[in-house]
Amino acid sequence: MGTFKAAFINEVEKIYRKKKVVVAAILSLLAIVMGQLLVTGVNKGFGLITASSTQFPILVLSLLVNTILPLFTALVAIDVFSGEFSHNTMKITLTRPVSRVKLYTAKISAIAFFVLANLLMVMLLSLAVGFIFNSVSLSVFGILRIVLSYIVTLIPVMSFALIIVFLSNVLKSGTTVFFLSIILFIAFNALSLVFPRYANIFITSMFDWYILWNVDTIPLGKLIREFFIMAGYVIMFYTAGYYMFDKKDL
Amino acid sequence: METVLEISGLTKLYKNGRGIFDINLNIYKGDVFGFLGPNGAGKTTAMKIMTGLMLPDSGDVKIFGHSVLTEFEKAMNKVGCIIETAESYPYLSPYENLKLFARFYDDIDNSRIDEVLELTGILKFKNEKVKNFSLGMKQRLGIAAAILSKPELIILDEPLNGLDVEGMIEMRKLIKMLAENERTTFFISSHLIHDVELTCNRIGILYNGKVVNVDTTENILKNFASLENYFVSEVGKNGNV
Repeated sequence: MGTFKAAFINEVEKIYRKKKVVVAAILSLLAIVMGQLLVTGVNKGFGLITASSTQFPILVLSLLVNTILPLFTALVAIDVFSGEFSHNTMKITLTRPVSRVKLYTAKISAIAFFVLANLLMVMLLSLAVGFIFNSVSLSVFGILRIVLSYIVTLIPVMSFALIIVFLSNVLKSGTTVFFLSIILFIAFNALSLVFPRYANIFITSMFDWYILWNVDTIPLGKLIREFFIMAGYVIMFYTAGYYMFDKKDL
Repeated sequence: METVLEISGLTKLYKNGRGIFDINLNIYKGDVFGFLGPNGAGKTTAMKIMTGLMLPDSGDVKIFGHSVLTEFEKAMNKVGCIIETAESYPYLSPYENLKLFARFYDDIDNSRIDEVLELTGILKFKNEKVKNFSLGMKQRLGIAAAILSKPELIILDEPLNGLDVEGMIEMRKLIKMLAENERTTFFISSHLIHDVELTCNRIGILYNGKVVNVDTTENILKNFASLENYFVSEVGKNGNV
């Protein structure tokens, strides 16, 4: 456990010390600003109240989860694996007394930490902006739903991230993995539109999984079914990625 | 004599037909072992397998009795190494780099980090970003990282790469100091034969992926004028230089 903790702290520190995270934070803030401009524009233009203080964070989440978050999750996942292989820095940790399974898990946990931190930062800021600029409709239940919506979004995003991690351990070039991830993202979205009955199989369609948690009557059956599909993705790609990582000669 | 490193039947074959074949070697406590061989002989391959960077086709490496294949953490707990090139994170300072490495070991405090930076002569650059370092400075940092945890076995692949004459002399002194004062065992590969002659007390020669001979430096120098002559002779017996 001690070496896993050391590896996890190191991986988080490495992610946080890179400029990508700062850019991700700035762009995430931009999502909030864009959301607010949209709301203000519609309010003033049409005289409507489009988003209350508790709806605003959900509007921002829908913007974030379909644009900036998957993009930066992909960049961070590629950096953590392909980046370290290509810059030859992977061997720094691999020659320390930490097993490959612990290092692999620590790296994935660090990616999850980045995603969660990004989500929570945007949630807190959008809540604050919602309270300041939009009509006040504060309720503890509403806030709890927002918190839940942001937290459960971690699961579909990480399911997608694990596909990228697997590709990073199969392909040598980080650039190839990045473009493949974008193609995959677009293809999954297109396929879920063309074959809506099978949309659940294409993991990106589940980025809006939080909606199921945010309705008055939670559709438990659908929620559990989608959770198991995502769990299947996680188990498959975590295992396949680890197999490739463990067998890799440096 | 306590066996620190035990290599048995180590084989790794590449697609191009090169590799290492059935290497058997024992390194004992207090040895400063020089691993000599021409380019492409398989030195780095053997060292990569020893440190878990590569899997062998067959055979095993045991460090302090623990197999690197099945008990990696235990095997590497008292090992420091530089393999092929001394790597560090360029966006961090030497101090931050060592702080990261220190987390894998018990009882390494900030004063130990300063101590190894001082020993390798880069203490005054401790807060500069590594990306601005020369090759020699990166090599010094690599050596600082290798000795950080006070390891009992240090595996160094071409440790003098990129160092100037002053740096080479300092490194040689450092290796001798650690071997004499701390009884640290060294496994060093180098193409600088003269340096190996001055630093190592046992020599192994690897040629075409096979260990062709192992002897003490003292014995070798009794029979040959220099280590270079011995190397040429041993390699000559097994092929052309």
